[in-house]
Amino acid sequence: MTDARTLAYINLYAVLGSLENLCELSEDARKLVKTDKPVAIGFDVKGGPSATLTFTDGKCKFTAGCEKCNVKLPFSSCEKFNGIIDGTVTPIPSKGFTKISFLLKQFTPLTDMLSKYMRPTEEDLKDEKFFELSTNLLFYTIAGAISQIGNNDEIGKFSAHHIPDGVVKIAISGGPAAAIEVKDHKLTTVKQNPEKYRALMEFGSMKLAHDLFDGKVNAIAKVGEGEIIMRGMINMIDNINRILDRVALYLA
Amino acid sequence: MAFKINDYTKSNELFKRATKVIPSGVYGHLGPAEGNFIPVSAWPFFSERAEGAYFWDVDGNKFIDYMCAYGPNILGYNDPDVDAAAFEQAKFGNCTTSPSYKMVELAELLVDTVNCADWAFFAKNGNDATSCAVLTARNATHRKKIIFVNGFYHGVSAWTQKIDYPGVLPEDVANNLYVDWNDVAGLEKIVAENKGEIAAFISTPYMHGNYKDNELPADGYWKKVREICTREGIVLIVDDVRAGWRLDLAGSDHYYGFEADLICFCKALANGWNVSAICGKEWLKDAVSGLSYTGSYWMSAVPFAAAIRNINKLKEIDAPKLLREKSVKLLDGLKGAAANNGFNLVVSGEPSLFYLRIANDDSMMIHQDWVAEMVKRGIFISSHHNHFMNAAVSDEDIKHTIEVADEAFKITKKMHPEAF
Repeated sequence: MTDARTLAYINLYAVLGSLENLCELSEDARKLVKTDKPVAIGFDVKGGPSATLTFTDGKCKFTAGCEKCNVKLPFSSCEKFNGIIDGTVTPIPSKGFTKISFLLKQFTPLTDMLSKYMRPTEEDLKDEKFFELSTNLLFYTIAGAISQIGNNDEIGKFSAHHIPDGVVKIAISGGPAAAIEVKDHKLTTVKQNPEKYRALMEFGSMKLAHDLFDGKVNAIAKVGEGEIIMRGMINMIDNINRILDRVALYLA
Repeated sequence: MAFKINDYTKSNELFKRATKVIPSGVYGHLGPAEGNFIPVSAWPFFSERAEGAYFWDVDGNKFIDYMCAYGPNILGYNDPDVDAAAFEQAKFGNCTTSPSYKMVELAELLVDTVNCADWAFFAKNGNDATSCAVLTARNATHRKKIIFVNGFYHGVSAWTQKIDYPGVLPEDVANNLYVDWNDVAGLEKIVAENKGEIAAFISTPYMHGNYKDNELPADGYWKKVREICTREGIVLIVDDVRAGWRLDLAGSDHYYGFEADLICFCKALANGWNVSAICGKEWLKDAVSGLSYTGSYWMSAVPFAAAIRNINKLKEIDAPKLLREKSVKLLDGLKGAAANNGFNLVVSGEPSLFYLRIANDDSMMIHQDWVAEMVKRGIFISSHHNHFMNAAVSDEDIKHTIEVADEAFKITKKMHPEAF
């Protein structure tokens, strides 16, 4: 009960979008993508999303659309684009051939690094810094995926239809926070701590958040134990949670 | 005066034990997640005993209970008359191979009491009753589609849920149509678009959905709905599970001046003893008879005996009038205490099932904090759901509730200087 188009939006906006956060949070990632001149990789998916990742001085910025890219990766379908995330498709640029070296030697290792944090081994997670970075990246990816599912997936759109306008803050205590902005049932993820919000869902610790993302603990029981805090417009959170159920389906 | 703040040490210990052996610890509407315990530290998880208008939790904290087990408690917990009837019946039998004659007596009482009832069919929960009603409508009309009113709650079976709920398939809700409350034009449109395909229109007598102010029917709304259903051969189902017996003993359809084809009761039917009922018009009797629909405990005699005594006692005390008077007294006091402290307390719905919302912010956070301060001081109310009045609530209870509310308003005001 998933569709390739929604998955393509998640893969681009949420998964590749979290490269922004990887470069912000990891010194190794910053070093890896350091360039003399900006490289802007555009992903253009027929019948699906388009967006650009711009690498400047070790930083990464995600923007919708690919009009300003200097390397363009076209994909004939959402399925083909999803294949690069699975590792079954090798992208071929339609412009920016001089940047192929960046693609192969810097961008691909960066996405490999992301995969390591997104699908960590138990051994990796014993390292405190690795655990923290992994949890941050999972958080931002999930926050990004919520909006893509709410805007694109048929069942997700049903949930979004029941969310009133306003901002929902999702946060990990002592860790990252993000806002899901809702306007006319369209969702936008802003990966920043919002000043004002109508509803709050906060996980009590990084460990709890990681265990929840891994499906190791029961969210409802943790609400009862006070380790997940919900406040404000619970009907907003209730419907976001229904979308969250589908995030697990798409990112499994 | 400063009221005692509850301690929930034993409740919390029990909840930890519960999470090991019970999914979610306490699941469903009585649990901390669905029950909106915000913050969870303000609420008890488990009760030890109940009597009249009160229950005591496992830590010995006493609560004036305005949720009434979410409706069943209408006369007061452990009502001596209803319980005596139940215990007396238990001496003779309860779950037996041939159902007790008490079943016939209760059916006769319902037919005599409920305005639209020509017959009665029994089950256990509200969901059993609404599911029976929908099956009956489909069997009678040989049509698939059901119209729901947005904001509805009619139980937990797959057909009553929504496409994005866990475990629900798109096919489960493929024949569900949705219209807004009080929207006659919308109803006409949906009926025209699905002409000859709609089996039933199912609705509560007024919109008592959660998380929003409750809405009464607009003038002429039900008359028009009744006309459309009759004209189009659509079965009109009133889900009176929540409001039933508190507004009108003849049914909430009678209260609002129309006649349902099928009406569903549960909650307050037997003052906490477990039985539900579907009552309906003569022309649907064959359709309900033809269903393959039964359950192990649906014809148990003890709840039948309790229901009979309960209904008769509700008549004796004119419960709807009594509950309304108590509720109005309480709500006037709460509104006064709110206004005195600078709060805009919005009261909606029918008084006997009042819904509260503090409107000083747009997030419900002030409201949730006030509700938590009430619960911590032994007044059990809810931040997201309508409340329920019961006949055992005394003037002294109401006075005490208003005094606690005043203190809770003062505390909440200090917590939110930005709003005042």
